[in-house]
Amino acid sequence: MELLNYLHTGFSVALQPINLFYCFVGVFIGTLVGVLPGIGPVGAMSLLLPITFKSTPESAIIMLAGIYYGTMYGGSTTSILVNIPGEAASVVTCLDGYQMARQGRAGPALGIAAFGSFIAGTFAIVGLMLMAPPLSKFALRFGPPEYFSLMFLGMTILIYLAHGSMLKALLMATIGIVLGLVGLDSINARPRLTFGRMELMDGIGLAPIVMGLFGVSEVLLNIEKEIQIKTFDTKIKGLLPTAKDWQESKWALVRGSLLGFFLGILPGGGGVIASFITYAVEKKVSKHPERFGKGAIEGVAAPEAANNAAAGGAFIPLMTLGIPTNAVIALLLGAFMIHSVQPGPLLMKQNPGLFWGVVTSMYIGNIMLLVLNLPLIGIWVQVLKVPYKILFPLILLLCLIGVYSISNTVFDIYIMVVFGVVGYLMKKFEYEGAPLVLAYILGPLFENNLRKSLIMSQGSSSIFFLRPISAIFLILAFVILISPLIPGIGKKRDVVAALTEEND
Amino acid sequence: MKIKKWGSGVFVGFFFFSLFFAFQAMAADFPTKPVTLICPWPPGGAVDTFFRVYAESTKKYLGQPVIIENKPGGAGTVGPAAMAATAKPDGYTVAQISVTLFRYQHMMKVDYDSLKDFTYILGLSGYTFGVVVKSDAPWKTFDELIAYAKDNPGKITYGSPGAGTTQNITMERISKDRGIKWIHVPMKGTGENMPALLGGHINVAADSTGFAPYVDSGQMRLLVTFGEKRTKKWPQVPTLKELGYGIVVESPFGLAGPKGMDLKVVKILHDVFKKGLEDPETLKILEKLDMLYAYKNTEDYVKQVKELFEEERILVEKLGLKKN
Repeated sequence: MELLNYLHTGFSVALQPINLFYCFVGVFIGTLVGVLPGIGPVGAMSLLLPITFKSTPESAIIMLAGIYYGTMYGGSTTSILVNIPGEAASVVTCLDGYQMARQGRAGPALGIAAFGSFIAGTFAIVGLMLMAPPLSKFALRFGPPEYFSLMFLGMTILIYLAHGSMLKALLMATIGIVLGLVGLDSINARPRLTFGRMELMDGIGLAPIVMGLFGVSEVLLNIEKEIQIKTFDTKIKGLLPTAKDWQESKWALVRGSLLGFFLGILPGGGGVIASFITYAVEKKVSKHPERFGKGAIEGVAAPEAANNAAAGGAFIPLMTLGIPTNAVIALLLGAFMIHSVQPGPLLMKQNPGLFWGVVTSMYIGNIMLLVLNLPLIGIWVQVLKVPYKILFPLILLLCLIGVYSISNTVFDIYIMVVFGVVGYLMKKFEYEGAPLVLAYILGPLFENNLRKSLIMSQGSSSIFFLRPISAIFLILAFVILISPLIPGIGKKRDVVAALTEEND
Repeated sequence: MKIKKWGSGVFVGFFFFSLFFAFQAMAADFPTKPVTLICPWPPGGAVDTFFRVYAESTKKYLGQPVIIENKPGGAGTVGPAAMAATAKPDGYTVAQISVTLFRYQHMMKVDYDSLKDFTYILGLSGYTFGVVVKSDAPWKTFDELIAYAKDNPGKITYGSPGAGTTQNITMERISKDRGIKWIHVPMKGTGENMPALLGGHINVAADSTGFAPYVDSGQMRLLVTFGEKRTKKWPQVPTLKELGYGIVVESPFGLAGPKGMDLKVVKILHDVFKKGLEDPETLKILEKLDMLYAYKNTEDYVKQVKELFEEERILVEKLGLKKN
């Protein structure tokens, strides 16, 4: 069989000792980078790029790819332990992961994140291997109208992220959209809400907002509670997920892998959107949606599976079309170019050793990551025993360095601090950060694609209904919107609301 | 007590010792520490890729590392603007200067003056731009496309990597000059522009050589390039100039430091960065990225900057993009 031939070619490259070494270095650095908040894969990869100038293209790409998917493993760690997302794709993991840690279940949360990452990562590699060419063709059918409808669906699903008052969630989403407006208008390059500041011309960065809202605010909140709270250093119950945990999260892992993989293929999609859409889906299909936000293990398993599967999926447009779907993949494209390799339609034919070598190295890298991460869980859990007065200044320091390192501007630090205070007040008054962040991410994409579609159709909105893929998304969104009116489905939301009120 | 006194004596000694060396170093040789090169684009793009290789080549001649610092934003203007506002003119910080720096000054309120706030060092390179269509599109030549657009106003949609980019501006120039009406769909970079064309969501794409793999694999047809001369890679494709449009666009870029740099330091940097540019490794990556070798010495580069500034002013006015 042809595929076996290819696999043979691939493994003969990936199993060379030097490539095994580069693969290990890559995933190891990736794990570290993922754990440190703010310092993302883009920064790490661009720093290490010159080191790979002298190596073979195979080794270089194997290492850089390892950093990328390694980050996705590590990103959940700080989300779960201290409620600070290690990178943007782990924002959603905070919701239930941190609650699990507070209940003494940090071990199972980290465990399911590692296993989920492994399962989804492996799934994505198989998908990449078997279906790369047809899938990349399918992704091309996504034009502005399709993206608009996908974002519309995303915005509709957003309400499922809230577990408190719907009104407050909508308010937060509105603020998120307004924040997303800041900067140069993407259609006519006119400044909006920049107040004449150059720093705001490209909008407010995602990292300062997220780290302020989730990280800094958490530190502020804990400073004041320090004396009362002793729950954290209560006994840690187990390090690995139990049979019951597996039972609860197995379908979440499957759904997360599938959705993440397909959303990862789309340009502009990627891990962030995939992680929160799968979270919302889990909450929707769950028999006990009231558990979400209070430490449901599915709420960790699904988004973690999704962002890893998305990382794998993102390789498809790069390898088959030469199209970078996000900043990390763009860096990989640069690395290919430096090594005189042109990714694109001809890559599989011209450089089979490179293509299959990189793909098979991802299998090996995923196994390395699992072996690397499982023993680390025991160590990470100990972090929770570090006294607050040492842990929190450290967290704050890491946040500051992380935010500064992204675009090397002090202005971002100010933004993070402001959002830290805002996030603190939001927690005090029980407003949630997740709808704000996600509306902030989706808003600009939503507007940009709406306007591009209307330019294409010269003002006629029929474009959204006449194109089949777009129409399907809109119908799905419509079904979700009217679902409270349908008896049976509608009840569930009431039950959720009632339970939430009871708990408050 | 005695030990403490002794300790502080050594400390003071070291202090003066190092001060002495610091002064001597300042007078005698530049550089004594790494030079930071601000790349005003995010990591991973063509320019960033070029600078990473260029920095490695230049290191040999400088005797110190060249550190690439990505400070993206405002289409390549935030990086140099931040440098002009905050960096010392000691030669240890330089930035890439692209045409957008001049263009934006005419388009909107900015907090720099590109003619006054910089010390220009040397010209480096420029881009290859062109117009592509899908290979199954009916237009075989650029003139055919223009003729079709003229007969069918508003029928052609073209994508560019963004509003206000050189590709967008050039396409609008052509439409103004030829009295045609086509519709601009601003994409977010080449990464969005290429799939939009391949997927048939736009008819035409104006871009820099991100189209290379698709043209080489036969999925797209390159109709015209914007440079002074035909490209080495696609010698059969005519230029806008040849076709009689009277437009040459190469968007040259170079390096500059903050205003008020010592001329001796400028000279050293110029010589070293010139050698780095002529290094075989740099020339190789330039060719790979389809970027031009467009070296200009300090004097010529300053002259070019003034011309570009004036050119952009006229263009921005003509296309109605001027700030109010």
